[in-house]
Amino acid sequence: MSPDLQARIQRVRIDGRDLLRDIELDIPGHRWTAIVGPNGAGKSTLLRAIAGLQRCEGHVQLAGRPLADWPAPARARQIAWMGQQETGADDLLALDVVMLGRLPHRPWLAPPTAADRRAVQAAMEATQSWAWRERRLGSLSGGERQRVLLARALAVDAPLMLMDEPLAHLDPPHQAEWMALVRGRVAAGHGVVSVLHELHLALQADHLVLMAEGRIVHAGAPADPVTHSALQRIFGPRLHIAQLDGRWVALPL
Amino acid sequence: MINIRPGLLLALLLAAGAACVLAGVLVGSTGWADLRDEGMGIILWEIRLPRSLGAWWAGALLGMAGAMSQGLFRNPLADPYLLGSASGAGLAVAVALALTGVSPQTSSLLAHIGLTGMAFVGTLLGVGLTLMLARGVEQTLRLLLAGVVVGVVLNALTGLATLWAPDILRAMQAFLLGNTGLLGWSSVTVMAACGIAALVIGLLASPALDALALGEATAASLGVRLPLLRLLLILAFALATGAAVAQTGIVAFVGLVAPHLVRSVCPTLHGRLIGLSAAAGGALLLAADVLARGLIRPQELPVGLVTALLGGLYLLVLMHRRSGSTQR
Amino acid sequence: MLERLITTLLLAVALPAGAVEIKDDLGQVTQIPAPPQRIVSLLPSLTETVCELGACARLVGVDRYSNFPAQVNALPKLGGMEDTNVELIASLKPDVVLVAVSSRVSERLKALGIKVVALEPRSYKDVQRVLGIIGQVLGVDDAQRVWRHIEAGVAAAASSVPARARGVKVYYEVASGLYAAGESSFVGETLARLGAGNIIPANLGPFPKINPEYVVKANPALIMIGARGSEGLTERPGWNRIDAVKRGRICVFRTEDGDILARPGPRMAEAAQIMAKCLREKVGP
Repeated sequence: MSPDLQARIQRVRIDGRDLLRDIELDIPGHRWTAIVGPNGAGKSTLLRAIAGLQRCEGHVQLAGRPLADWPAPARARQIAWMGQQETGADDLLALDVVMLGRLPHRPWLAPPTAADRRAVQAAMEATQSWAWRERRLGSLSGGERQRVLLARALAVDAPLMLMDEPLAHLDPPHQAEWMALVRGRVAAGHGVVSVLHELHLALQADHLVLMAEGRIVHAGAPADPVTHSALQRIFGPRLHIAQLDGRWVALPL
Repeated sequence: MINIRPGLLLALLLAAGAACVLAGVLVGSTGWADLRDEGMGIILWEIRLPRSLGAWWAGALLGMAGAMSQGLFRNPLADPYLLGSASGAGLAVAVALALTGVSPQTSSLLAHIGLTGMAFVGTLLGVGLTLMLARGVEQTLRLLLAGVVVGVVLNALTGLATLWAPDILRAMQAFLLGNTGLLGWSSVTVMAACGIAALVIGLLASPALDALALGEATAASLGVRLPLLRLLLILAFALATGAAVAQTGIVAFVGLVAPHLVRSVCPTLHGRLIGLSAAAGGALLLAADVLARGLIRPQELPVGLVTALLGGLYLLVLMHRRSGSTQR
Repeated sequence: MLERLITTLLLAVALPAGAVEIKDDLGQVTQIPAPPQRIVSLLPSLTETVCELGACARLVGVDRYSNFPAQVNALPKLGGMEDTNVELIASLKPDVVLVAVSSRVSERLKALGIKVVALEPRSYKDVQRVLGIIGQVLGVDDAQRVWRHIEAGVAAAASSVPARARGVKVYYEVASGLYAAGESSFVGETLARLGAGNIIPANLGPFPKINPEYVVKANPALIMIGARGSEGLTERPGWNRIDAVKRGRICVFRTEDGDILARPGPRMAEAAQIMAKCLREKVGP
């Protein structure tokens, strides 16, 4: 059963600037929550704060316990985090990169177990990256690399996955596969929080959080007209939200 | 792209190292060994063998420190002499040389610790100063900047020392260009002990280095306790660099090139990378030393010159290959 | 014969009386119209030579490393080889500047109209020649007397070396790393004049960087080294087999004597005395 996450953050201040203000956020456990907003709204900062990777004035609670009280390995097993534009590790094999996702499950220096290998294979097959497991990360294209990094986050097999712009470099078929993956995890009782630029995908989520200028402007169901008007207010009147084949889509006009 | 398995690469590197030890023992100031001469036995056992083994260990220490610093700072151009280690050692040696003969107290102190002891202390002081200036190991960028500052300031102080006592210039040059001439069995033992300690610490911390390859935030999200492991790694790296610099002076490029060489033919996680870099560094430094000793017998080139030449050539080749491969 | 006559006549007409033409170690010819009264010296051995020839009072500036005789320490210090203070030199308005051959300021000074003579003694023959040239520059003509005095001093030092110490093989270490003094260096020449042998033959050059193994193989009977580099000498691997180390025949020269021993100049006789004393004490008894 996926834990609930509650964030009450007064402020996150970096280099003299307030990046987040007065955040009240409740992430329900077994749902797909999408966070959207214009550039510079503070979405990535919010995701890092609720992952426990960013110091903030306020508190974040995971399953009723303050995040700071969780020992690091236990917290790592509960929350998997994937950042945007992660560089580095070019010299490692794709398989080794994904295997790193199993670190929270192993004693420190223990070699990978059979369970680890099964989890890694499952994760890589789910993101269609199993075919190039023996290739170096640096030799992969942008999309191939992104799928390996996704697999790494999947391999953690944590009840709550936090993903920052997971669809970078991915073309529409792969975006659709990603969505199917997320749906599968939610159906299995896990939770997913994703920061997305792709509004048409965000509108398929169970819960939408809209941010602007460091604050949460609106949180609600994507199908709700209030949500739609909030979106148009923030993104401007050139955004057209309509139904297509029973699904909500957002298009620039 | 070549892809050798780690086990095979280790065997190859160790074999290369052994071959170089053999070469080092056979070739010295007097050419090929005349095994019938009884005095030659002493030279072989007490001079050539420890010198060759010592050169290998110095290279191994530098290779390990290079791998650790490249992983810690996520920068393929990092080398063991960041964080003020080389400049600290240089200053300590300059001060020790300049103060010799100035008063009986300093002379007896120096005789007690020896120049090697001073250089080792200097390395640790340089790194310690950097840690203090960066106020801890939290931020990598601050560490690197502090290392640059400490390096510049300590180098300036070294220059002042050579101004004050100009007749230490030749000895300083020998230190700054690397010198394996006086390595004996005690040096080999000290370096081997430090090497094994550094290797163990490196292995213990290697999962952290692997996680760090994906970024500091990702590593933290995987439950890695970064500050503690950073401190441990910096200690290991200071120990390894200090031991090498104390015994052989400042040898360029080995710490930079050894991990590169390994990574280019064998992509692997840090646990194996550190060990393989040790084997690669040892073979490199020893090969350079054999060349330095043999080319203009019985005179010698400073080994740091040869490593700089070889290292520079290797990096040129690497650049050429990289630029060739990106033109797809 | 006729050419000589004509050249001399021409010179007599071309040069004012008392003028000299100096050809220095760079092969450049400088005309010095009159004995210079304001001299700058940028090499310690040249400073000592000027003072030895009695013209110490005419020095107006010296380089950072000139420290003998004591009176030159009161003069303005003009920097070292790399960072010579050209502005300060020009402000002293020297009549001639004596520089080392490898100095980088000669062009700069000549461009400012200052007369520059480049000399760098590296051997006994050089010291004699440089004495002669500086004597010419200064307008002093007892340069040869000074040279004979130096040679006599060296000979006296040589005669104080007992017969037992003659032919003894010496290893002279100039700096750690290891740099040795070979037969073809001025130190080697002094050793030769004292009757001692040198394990570094002439074909290796004056100050080669030598493999320590070579020293062990050559097995010198006496080791000469300065205090600065002497730390740990006996602990060097394999060196406890060397004759000199086994018998304790190691001369450690005091740091203060370092300048005397390292400069090929007028104090070579003193250097020879120091080395002779070493031979007497360590090998004599």
